Amino acid sequence: MIVSLDWLADYVDLPEVDALTERLLLSGLNHESTKIIHDDAAVDLEVTSNRPDCLGHIGVAREVSVLFQRPLKIPTVSITGPEPPHSFSVAIESTDICPFYSARLIRGVTVGPSPDWLVRRLETVGVASVNNVVDVTNYVMLECGQPLHAFDLNSLNGEKIIVRRAKEGESFVAINHKEYKLTSEMCVISDSKQSLAIAGVMGGAETEISLETTDVLIESAQFAPLPVRSAARALVLGSPSSYRFERGPDPAAVEWASCRAVELIRDLAGGTFAAPAIQAGSLSSSQSTIDLRTHRVEQVLGVSVSLQRQREILQSLGFVEQESGDDVTRWLAPTWRRDCTREIDLVEEVARIEGYDCVPENIPISAVPVQRSPRERMVRVVSESCVAAGFCEAMTRSVVGERFEEFSSPWGDAPALVCSPPLVQGADRLRRTLLPSLLEARSNSLSSGSSHGDLFEIAHCYLRREDESLEGTVPVEEPLLLALATGGDFFYGKGFAAAILERLGVYEWSSAERPVSQAGVEFGVTYHPFESAVMQEGRSAEILFHSKGEKSRRIGVVGEFSEGVMKMCGFDKNSVGIELRLDGLEFTTKYESTLLSLSSFPSIDRDMNLVVDEGISWASVRAAIESTQCDALESVHLGEIWRDAERLGEGKKSVVVSIRLRSSKETLSAEQANSFVKAMVRSCQDRVGAALRG
Amino acid sequence: MTNLNLDAFVADLERLRSEVKKALANVADTEALEASRIVFLGAKNGQLKALQKGLGKLGSEDKPAGGQQFNAVKKSVEALFLQASQRVVAPLKNTKAVEQIDVTLPGSPIRFGRVHPITQTIRRVSSIMANLGFEAVDGPEVEDQWHNFEALAIPNEHPARDPLDNFYIAVANTNRPLLLRSQTSTVQIRVMEQRKPPLRIVSLGRVYRPDTADATHYPMFHQVEGLLIEPGATMAHLKSVLRSFASSFLGGDVRVRFRPSFFPFTEPSVEVDMEWNGRWIEMGGAGMVDPSVLQSVGYDPDEVCGFAFGLGVERIAARRFGVADIRDFYRNDIRFLEQFHDRGQA
Repeated sequence: MIVSLDWLADYVDLPEVDALTERLLLSGLNHESTKIIHDDAAVDLEVTSNRPDCLGHIGVAREVSVLFQRPLKIPTVSITGPEPPHSFSVAIESTDICPFYSARLIRGVTVGPSPDWLVRRLETVGVASVNNVVDVTNYVMLECGQPLHAFDLNSLNGEKIIVRRAKEGESFVAINHKEYKLTSEMCVISDSKQSLAIAGVMGGAETEISLETTDVLIESAQFAPLPVRSAARALVLGSPSSYRFERGPDPAAVEWASCRAVELIRDLAGGTFAAPAIQAGSLSSSQSTIDLRTHRVEQVLGVSVSLQRQREILQSLGFVEQESGDDVTRWLAPTWRRDCTREIDLVEEVARIEGYDCVPENIPISAVPVQRSPRERMVRVVSESCVAAGFCEAMTRSVVGERFEEFSSPWGDAPALVCSPPLVQGADRLRRTLLPSLLEARSNSLSSGSSHGDLFEIAHCYLRREDESLEGTVPVEEPLLLALATGGDFFYGKGFAAAILERLGVYEWSSAERPVSQAGVEFGVTYHPFESAVMQEGRSAEILFHSKGEKSRRIGVVGEFSEGVMKMCGFDKNSVGIELRLDGLEFTTKYESTLLSLSSFPSIDRDMNLVVDEGISWASVRAAIESTQCDALESVHLGEIWRDAERLGEGKKSVVVSIRLRSSKETLSAEQANSFVKAMVRSCQDRVGAALRG
Repeated sequence: MTNLNLDAFVADLERLRSEVKKALANVADTEALEASRIVFLGAKNGQLKALQKGLGKLGSEDKPAGGQQFNAVKKSVEALFLQASQRVVAPLKNTKAVEQIDVTLPGSPIRFGRVHPITQTIRRVSSIMANLGFEAVDGPEVEDQWHNFEALAIPNEHPARDPLDNFYIAVANTNRPLLLRSQTSTVQIRVMEQRKPPLRIVSLGRVYRPDTADATHYPMFHQVEGLLIEPGATMAHLKSVLRSFASSFLGGDVRVRFRPSFFPFTEPSVEVDMEWNGRWIEMGGAGMVDPSVLQSVGYDPDEVCGFAFGLGVERIAARRFGVADIRDFYRNDIRFLEQFHDRGQA
């Protein structure tokens, strides 16, 4: 709301401008700027949506009068004249949208330029002068906040105003000379033939005031906020009128504004009018009666305001004291403050006028112990690990374009949720995986000349849950994911994934059963071949999570991106991606480490050179070794794998396994070690058909 | 077979000792010392070992004396070696010529990554709030109307619920519209529904509003919102907590200022400014939790009260790091991300 200081001074004696704006700023009218225009100043004040009373100069003047304790002078209207012609009438068909409509006819006006004072005041507040009649309607709206409209009476068909819903698809040329298609949800002002105005939003070109106009109809009405807002938004046709109707002008101003306007028109353009208005409907006006407990102000603010001062403030704001008491006072809210309906509203009024500077800012706050949640600690651990490994954290959009749908999600096949409007152009799918976003960021970084494109992101994805009708919960699952994209091959990716999981207390197992060498560890993962459109066939894996008493579930995928993806992203070297589902893993991590005592006995290292069929996996060899349940087996490592058809035979490979044996009780003898190894070799023979070589 | 003569045995021992002495006198480095050690004390073919074999050939009456002599000489020889080893211990300074390198050549690259500046800011804010007793909580980003609007005293006809001002989600069950949350206050409602007062929490995360992206707006951004529910909480507590926060965040004793404002879920509502370099800068919105919000989660507004405040993370981060265009936070250009070192602030 732009206020002209020259204009404002009509209603209240003004203090110096800086003092004025500073005080207004601290009591609810945020000062945006002050511009000097000719001899006047345009002060731009931000009015919150609960304060439509301040969308007119009088409302702002009232605030000034309360804050600086100066009298408020509101112009009086007193019109007299003959009864209006009985032949003219108003009918409201849509009372839900328009509870009350008032029309005044003024005949014999001379339309022409407005006087200088009026032109200048409108110019200060950024409204261009049109002619003396239109300017008056704008002036009165900016004075009291009630929008008005002036129709050229002689352009009307018949002598009746009808407030009704628009016909579906009806076309209408507004005063801006643009054509609009209306819907049956919109409300129009019409005559017997056609629509004259979109109720509360904008008038029509047909009935606009021109230099030829001699007779004028002044409309002052009440329109419900929601339909006005919907119409204005649907037509993209916001106006100062619709802005005010959306917020609800003072009901008492409907009649005042009508009288004020015809008086001013008569003064500036001549003409005669009838004193009573032609009306329909009944004015919707509700004033709240509110009890204020005296101590409540201090209870909320933390500083006391005397009952005397509370009274002073509320009275000056226009509240009427209906019942007095030391403990409770009863107040009737003024018509222009329909935002005030409850005790807390009165507390706020007292507080903002008294000023929040009086609220102390050094009250001691009691200490309360706080712990980071397991989830937060897990996220820190994961992010620290990625950062230590040289990765930068990315933050990509949660909503992606249709193109990314080609990336199947490892987390579910249901189609993505779609939002409206799109987050940004072309992006309306809630993502089901982070990898495509991350690939895009990697691709952008590399092509923008960055030294690398190693990125990770920790964020949610969004999955439709099967049963959308489930009561009480939102039918969407939001797994927390870690995604990572970097150069390198499958083994780099797997190594990275395994290292992150190990930091979370989850180790790779050779099978879904907990291996002996992982004593005390309750959670494990296994890796299995994985097929995906975006990953290289045969060079990607899913990660299954196992925990006692729980069904095994997928918690990750790792793999080299397919050639198609590489081409799309413009990568020239191998690229590998990891996506891990972190939610659930916060409980696998013991954040306080407990020391496992170190064995003081020496270890014995042995290598086994096993020849197995090509199809035998490393995990199954490892599982065979671990299945011997040897307490002294400290670790099993892969030495090397080599193939030689001549020496090993066709379809065979040699797997060199390095094991380390150590007892916590004694120094192992060579004989003990030999018997352990023997058992392991036998197990490998039995389970994976291995032959010991050399 | 005749016994070895004791005298001859002792003479051999003595000869060995003098040979050792002579040899060690010429030893100049550890390698030569090791070579001598092998010659004289080698476990398999050392000369001392050879002499030890002679001990067994002494007559039985000579054996005790021979053994004594052997041990004395062995000790003495070992002592000589120890002395020599102390003398010839490898000098620290390399004596051989090695290739000189250009020390200005680059080292092998060790790269550390970076935490995103938005994350850094969230961590900083939440660690300060943790010091003030506020626990960080999170919740779903896809929300229902109850948590995003109704429980927050935003009724159906409120402009904030307009379809054009929210990201509504197409669902089969149209009775229960879903949307991307427009504020993290939704999490506060969820926590209040689950727990009884007293409460001190900060909810943080992504929120979504359909703003056209420009230098100061982005349709996806981050909020940190604090909530305290305790009997006897007042605006004075709110102001004191925010002042403590501002002082920790900016350093020094920072003043805060309240300007009246309007939010559906707080009353009184205020905008909070903090004084920074002699200017008041906007910090966020705050207020006392509206009684109707307390009622909607089953609290009695006459029994408990509390305050809430919200901070826009992007705005704080932009100011903190001198980022003029907040869209840069989401471009994920490594050259941008690498500039933000977390220097232990959070």
